[in-house]
Amino acid sequence: MPDLPDREPVKAAQALVVGNAQTRRRLDVPVVVDDSKCVTGCRICVESCPVDCLAIDAAAGKARMAHDDCWYCLACELDCPNDAITVKIPLLVR
Amino acid sequence: MSTPAIPTHADVIVVGGGSAGSTAAIFAAQGLAAAGGGRVLLLEKANIKRSGAIAIGMDGLNNAVIPGHATPEQYVREITMANDGIVDQRAVLAYAERSWPMIQQLDAWGVRFQKTPGGDYDVRQVHHNGRYVLPMPEGYDLKKILCRQIRRAGVQTVNRVMATRLLVEDSSGRRRIAGVIGLDVRSGAVSVIRARAVILACGASGRLGLPASGYLFGTYENPANAGDGYALAYHAGAELTGIECFQINPLIKDYNGPACAYVTGPLGGHTVNALGHRFIRSDYWSGQMMLEFYKELHSERGPVYLKLDHLAPETLTEIERVLHRTERPSRGRFHRGRGQSYATDQVEMHVSEIGLCSGHSASGVWVDEHARTTVDGLYAAGDMASVPHNYLLGALTYGRIAAEDAVARLTAEGPSGATPMSEAPPLSEASETAIAAERERVLAPLARSDGLPAHQLEYKIRRLVNDYLQPPKTANRYHAFLGHAERFRSELAEAGAADPHELMRVVEVGFILDCAEMAARASLHRTESRWGLYHYRLDYPERDDARWFVHVNVHLGTDGAMAISERPVAPYVVPVSDAELHSYSKIRLPAKVETAAPVPAESRSIAAATVAHP
Ligand SMILES: Cc1cc2nc3c(=O)[nH]c(=O)nc-3n(C[C@H](O)[C@H](O)[C@H](O)COP(=O)(O)OP(=O)(O)OC[C@H]3O[C@@H](n4cnc5c(N)ncnc54)[C@H](O)[C@@H]3O)c2cc1C
Ligand code: SF4
Ligand code: SF4
Repeated sequence: MPDLPDREPVKAAQALVVGNAQTRRRLDVPVVVDDSKCVTGCRICVESCPVDCLAIDAAAGKARMAHDDCWYCLACELDCPNDAITVKIPLLVR
Repeated sequence: MSTPAIPTHADVIVVGGGSAGSTAAIFAAQGLAAAGGGRVLLLEKANIKRSGAIAIGMDGLNNAVIPGHATPEQYVREITMANDGIVDQRAVLAYAERSWPMIQQLDAWGVRFQKTPGGDYDVRQVHHNGRYVLPMPEGYDLKKILCRQIRRAGVQTVNRVMATRLLVEDSSGRRRIAGVIGLDVRSGAVSVIRARAVILACGASGRLGLPASGYLFGTYENPANAGDGYALAYHAGAELTGIECFQINPLIKDYNGPACAYVTGPLGGHTVNALGHRFIRSDYWSGQMMLEFYKELHSERGPVYLKLDHLAPETLTEIERVLHRTERPSRGRFHRGRGQSYATDQVEMHVSEIGLCSGHSASGVWVDEHARTTVDGLYAAGDMASVPHNYLLGALTYGRIAAEDAVARLTAEGPSGATPMSEAPPLSEASETAIAAERERVLAPLARSDGLPAHQLEYKIRRLVNDYLQPPKTANRYHAFLGHAERFRSELAEAGAADPHELMRVVEVGFILDCAEMAARASLHRTESRWGLYHYRLDYPERDDARWFVHVNVHLGTDGAMAISERPVAPYVVPVSDAELHSYSKIRLPAKVETAAPVPAESRSIAAATVAHP
């Protein structure tokens, strides 16, 4: 990369103003929903979550973890009337 | 999704429906009803049925002052010693005197405490001197019981709305609370609710440090509590105190929940080093205890373990019955996942990330014995208010104290007495401006599609907190942090949010940053060491009572910058001798008795007599 030293002052100045770019990544999440048991999509678990990280997936009509923000408190699992939820200890913790 | 209608006004708004907020709402509604009526609004960021530290219940009261077992004066003395003397004893005494009626009230509501066969409360000793720990082996229902009372009292509850700022107006030369600005975390709507009194009960600043696991939400505290209450009070102009007295707890490593010494201690469990030797006299959480714990952890004798494998099988079954069903019930799943059990393995312990929490330590919004902050009409209770080591019963009791004072005040005010506010009063021009600015601040990230993501911003500021603010403290590292924080503030201004949930997280990162800055500035100001690990400064390693026997307070200065002030420690109402004031520093066991201590005979087997609800 012979011209890097020459470009560096320009790039360093540009890096301050250029704006942001984004990408997506896969995450292992702690809440696992058994779709065969989450028949109603009743939202009880969604309402129980103290950090509001669950949602009903519009396409599937089933509960899903929408955000990887779990306190592994078990509220959703304990409150699901159909025993559809299993909370695993988050990967980084277990 | 239907959004609940948010009222435009209420006589009393309670912000946060955890422990303190529940009792505040119940007693405010009951009090106003008795005084002629009025509306109490409970604003909760989550849903009150499962919110706060007691979302999944609690296994005991850590500080019950029960006649026949302890006196209020004894308790005040103990808490004064545990806090190296820097306490407003009047506020601690108010708790101690009111805690017994609160226990009786909870009992009447259906909370089941552990009792002896004779029917007396089965209080255990965990503190250095007195007996204050009252087990609630069936405490998993606590939140349900409180919610039933909230409904019965006629409280209007609005879930999933988080307060982002308070509305304060000038009234005859004084700053008086005028309402709350809230963000609906599902719809993204911002609303203003006017009130005559506001009780803040938003819990701890629990997302300040980053847990060692690196998982943002793997905190000790319920992660919904991001320090919102501290920041709300700060921006409203209230004084905060003891911020430099951090919360750091001894926890199950990686799992990051309590082990819990208060449950296992009275049954014979204790903390040991890698040699299997005990090194502290008492497992009661204090700064001094944490310092010895930290030193052992980082010595050649570390790590540190909770030792239970010497206990009888029926004792272990009882411990699991409590620990794996309430408070943090996923503990058992965690151990099982690692193929470990209390019978065969010691539980590896670690120190938690730093936080701010008066429930366990002493940081909070300055309140007096009526739960009043320094802003007129604004109250604070629970983990975010300054009454030290107040725990669950302190939150429940002070919620009630705040409610009673607010009701008395509204009743005494003017000819209309407690007559309910009939409509939202007109806004002053200054308030209109403040509300418009707040709406703009809160909603701006929604418009930035390529804005910086909240979770990365949060990781960054909390990683900086770990790098620079975690004790031991030094001025150099703390100044360096303030430089990073300044730079971070401009990055936060670039935050983007794809939906209202992410918007909530961006607002929370702002709260975290405010708390971190308060933690840094208060710690820099106190140029001595105090409270063991909580304020251990390498550059000022000694405690200096001649200079620093004062409260260090933080508030928003008139120039918009953070200001520091000092308040003298009010004369004690319960005398404590100088020797007693140093007693908590003698927690380390002398080396010669550092051998595996024998288990007390009565703990080897847990007889039916010690457990009322088998
Ligand atoms: C894991 C754990 C174990 C514990 N064990 C014990 C024990 O055994 N015994 C004991 O006595 N004490 C124990 N404690 C301490 C005790 O539970 C707390 O001191 C007490 O519950 C604090 O009550 P609080 O009302 O201040 O906070 P919380 O009960 O946490 O309530 C705060 C509420 O405010 C809401 N909130 C936060 N921000 C906002 C906002 N901006 N707008 C609206 N709402 C908001 C939250 O969602 C939450 O519902 C424990 C604490 C923890 C975390
Ligand atoms: S375990 Fe708790 S924090 Fe995690 S998704 Fe369920 S309710 Fe939410
Ligand atoms: S509570 Fe159970 S059944 Fe209801 S939405 Fe959640 S997982 Fe599905």
